[in-house]
Amino acid sequence: MEIKIENVIKQFPPDILALRNINITIPQGDFVYLVGPTGSGKTTLMRLITREVVPTKGRVLVGGTDLRKLGMTDIAYYRREIGVVFQDFRLLSHLTAYENLTFVQEAIGMPKDLIEERTNEILDKMGLWRRRFLYPEQLSGGEQQRLAIARATINCPSILLADEPTGNLDLQTAEAIMKILLSINAMGTTVVVATHNQYIVDEFRQRVISLRGGRVVRDERKGRFEINDDF
Amino acid sequence: MTTFSYVLRDAFRLVTRNITLSFLTLVTTVAVFFLMSCSILFVMNTKHIVAGIENNLVITAYVNKKGTAAEVVADKIGKLDCVDSVRIVTPDKALEILRARLGNQADVLTLLDDNPLPPSVEIKLKNASAVSVVARELLSMEEVEDIVYAGELAKRLEIISRFISKFSFGVLAIALAVGALVVFNTIRIGVYARREEIEIMLLIGATPGFVAFPFVLHGSIISALGALLAGASVFLSYDRVVGALKASMPFLNFMTDRAVVMDLWLLLVGGGLTVGWICSWLAVSKFVRQAMRPH
Ligand SMILES: Nc1ncnc2c1ncn2[C@@H]1O[C@H](COP(=O)(O)OP(=O)(O)OP(=O)(O)O)[C@@H](O)[C@H]1O
Ligand SMILES: [Mg+2]
Repeated sequence: MEIKIENVIKQFPPDILALRNINITIPQGDFVYLVGPTGSGKTTLMRLITREVVPTKGRVLVGGTDLRKLGMTDIAYYRREIGVVFQDFRLLSHLTAYENLTFVQEAIGMPKDLIEERTNEILDKMGLWRRRFLYPEQLSGGEQQRLAIARATINCPSILLADEPTGNLDLQTAEAIMKILLSINAMGTTVVVATHNQYIVDEFRQRVISLRGGRVVRDERKGRFEINDDF
Repeated sequence: MTTFSYVLRDAFRLVTRNITLSFLTLVTTVAVFFLMSCSILFVMNTKHIVAGIENNLVITAYVNKKGTAAEVVADKIGKLDCVDSVRIVTPDKALEILRARLGNQADVLTLLDDNPLPPSVEIKLKNASAVSVVARELLSMEEVEDIVYAGELAKRLEIISRFISKFSFGVLAIALAVGALVVFNTIRIGVYARREEIEIMLLIGATPGFVAFPFVLHGSIISALGALLAGASVFLSYDRVVGALKASMPFLNFMTDRAVVMDLWLLLVGGGLTVGWICSWLAVSKFVRQAMRPH
């Protein structure tokens, strides 16, 4: 599914202009870094795609559908196509790692045997098998991060949005997470990563979209982090 | 299938995780439905009693004491088609009846030196529809001083009964509102306790209906169970209560049909299910809609 953001302006009440005339097209299978200083609109842009946020002006098309036109149930089905790694993880604290994964599959009515199989498989792949009965607060930051990615990808989404998936991680762990994201992308999933991590962006060169004050100031393939060149 | 088992399991989890609250809600709904069925049965019995009196087919006509007035009236009325039988009650006979009714207090009657009771004619009719015709006929006769018939009494009772109905419906409405509010609040507390879970479920593509269903089921189960238990206690105790009332007021025509009480029980459970469903739906759907609303 192609993501097309057309002339989008987003103003939060009373007068916070979070996005100012954004035009971005992301074809299916792309890998995109969203970079930019804090408050530049990265998270807001991602929330346009999940339809947590609707534009004040302009429109967001995903797979040719204007998201504004979707009803509540349509949105539910649409969201099954999208995996999100939230900036603050949003793992459920009263569920174990294993249950955090089964929960999201049950919520969309997946058959039981398939749930078990896929959960075990992904726990193994993410190196969380031995931690499966621990609660999120008992996991390290990197483990929580991986659990969040596991949850976002377990339903095989067409689009994966990862908001700061390497925040607060050491370089090795960040690299490991990046490799997981790249492998997911290699299977055809569109991956959008919002990040402040210069090392990662420069090490694993991909398309870079740079935001500043709610505007796209740079959009290049195989780009670099290079904040200072924006001026 | 998985969806359904998930919903069931989740509803069960809602009940058990907040067992104290669920229990308190259940107790409240039992009390509410018990009160409701009591007021319904009260109204039904009042109506039944009034109807019983209405269907009492005897008219008593008091006639003047002049000579053969009683015989004249009995003769005339006895000829009507709709009259089953007539019986003349002389003042002496009337006094005898009164004495018998008063039992050991009959001594007070010795204070009377003269028998003040008028002679009367008791007219038994074939059907209730004839009551007003015969009553009019009697009143048009000069020998007749006054008539007393159940229809008259029934009319007066009807007014009281209507008042009782209104009062009972007031009780019913208040009970229903309290029950609804309690269920609504319990579900809302449940929703609030799990708001994070609900938000995440909605973000990863659970449909609003799927998210809401366990809560709706939870509310419906509690409410229907409350109605079931209240109905059971009413059903099991009704005969005994009516038996006791009958013993002290044998002249009143209480409703003794168990099938009616059974129907009421079913109605109660149906009502409980509906109320629980609506209230919990209102409680959860508002939250879900809010969570789905974009910024
Ligand atoms: N719901 C909201 N209501 C009001 N203002 C908002 C809301 N969401 C975001 N904003 C504002 O929009 C701007 C962009 O926020 P956004 O979260 O998109 O930034 P970001 O690029 O993700 O920052 P960070 O790198 O710190 O995560 C900020 O000024 C923020 O305060
Ligand atoms: Mg952000």
